[in-house]
Amino acid sequence: MKILGYKRPDNKIGIRNYLLILPVTRGSHILASKIAENVTNCKTFILGDEDGRDSDDRNTISRVLIGLGLNPNVGAVLLVCNKKNAGYDELLPSYIESEIAKSGKKVYLLDIEEQNGFYQALGQGIRIARRMAREISDIQRTDVDFGKLTIGVKCGLSDATSGISGNPTVGYMLDALIDQGGTAFFSETTEVIGAEEIVAKRCRNDEVKQKFLECVYRTENEAKSTGEDIRTINPIPANIEAGITTLEEKSLGAIAKAGTRPINGVLRYAERPKESGLYFVDSWMSSTSLFIGYAAAGANMVIFQMGGGALPVDPPMPSVSTGLIAPILYTTGNPKTYKRAGDEIDFNCGTIIEKKETISQAGERLIQHIQKVASGMYTKMETWNYQDPIEVFLKGPKL
Amino acid sequence: MENLIVLSEADNVGNAIEDIEKNEVVSFSVNGQKHEFTAKERIPFGFKIAIKDIKKGEPIIKYHEIIGKASRDIDLGHLVHVHNVEGCRGRGDINN
Repeated sequence: MKILGYKRPDNKIGIRNYLLILPVTRGSHILASKIAENVTNCKTFILGDEDGRDSDDRNTISRVLIGLGLNPNVGAVLLVCNKKNAGYDELLPSYIESEIAKSGKKVYLLDIEEQNGFYQALGQGIRIARRMAREISDIQRTDVDFGKLTIGVKCGLSDATSGISGNPTVGYMLDALIDQGGTAFFSETTEVIGAEEIVAKRCRNDEVKQKFLECVYRTENEAKSTGEDIRTINPIPANIEAGITTLEEKSLGAIAKAGTRPINGVLRYAERPKESGLYFVDSWMSSTSLFIGYAAAGANMVIFQMGGGALPVDPPMPSVSTGLIAPILYTTGNPKTYKRAGDEIDFNCGTIIEKKETISQAGERLIQHIQKVASGMYTKMETWNYQDPIEVFLKGPKL
Repeated sequence: MENLIVLSEADNVGNAIEDIEKNEVVSFSVNGQKHEFTAKERIPFGFKIAIKDIKKGEPIIKYHEIIGKASRDIDLGHLVHVHNVEGCRGRGDINN
């Protein structure tokens, strides 16, 4: 099974070919933004909340910046900073540059001090970014294996269809991806609570199992320590209005999107896996944060599987572009949701509960759809000229 | 046409795939066997209905797994939801 993708020097496969303009320190946010405004086909990312962070959070930020640069959907990277050798070790611009450069792709580090200030740096930055944009536009798509892809999944606005049609269809596709040597991420630690024993049985070995259960128990205790009965968080009122009764029911429905293959490992937020396979990512569930974490871990695209039974007509979607460089593809297993949100949702498998298709038929159709998107077709969200605010998952405390 | 999905033969609840009115016939298949009974109350699309009598304290089974316990007796044909089911996890006041 083939797609048309961009082969990178490190043999990773991209499905998009962006120039990424990344500010490494807060003072250079405006410079990165102003360069990006003027140059075609680039993405930039402003991390608004990076000061006063402890070492754990600084390492997370470092993983996000390096991971985004390494993501194969990025053809070249322009890093922007105030001083390339100033700052914490893990956030030194020269360190971020050297880590991204290991991929063999082109990286340029624009240092405002070296450029004699902001105004010179802006002009020079635009010049360099335009050159880089043109250079990467000459990289051609070639025939590559579907099994080279990395896909992250999340479900949202769960209803009874999530566990019956939508999530099992995404799970079918993920099984096929893993069987062909691909890589997949699933997460949402809070939503696994209730079904953790069932998920734990799928871990590759005891070490992975223990790591997984530790994540679940820690998250459950964190919820309890805030005085929240986790049942009042999950299922959320919208789930209950749509027919989901208990946390266990929601969890079992939610994990159906991760398919049935063994869990190869547990990853921190924005941690890149060392080999292919299915991974559980220990993360905050929100799509404002999860998708950029997946992208930094190497995801080519993310799938947002919606129940959506309670959605109004023509609803805006919760996330348009929070994957930044990894497009979001929306699916639903609820035919009513698709009827109401057909201009936003890419793939409808509500056909299953209408008894027009089986889960495996819908799953094959989803694979074909993903082949098209991986080969260059826009997802519906990609047709918006809109950048969502993005929040990196930092744990605090802010110091 | 069938109006209920039951995911495994061990399950004691099914999900309505259309709005089912009170006294309407409910039909579903599991393992190739067709079943029918009468809804005792309205079951909206996506909600669960008891396909067996379930006694207070007995498990509610879906996906071949326990998704909660009956907090009161639930008779065949009745809505199964938060008013008659308790989850078993994530509550300090309930031990597994």
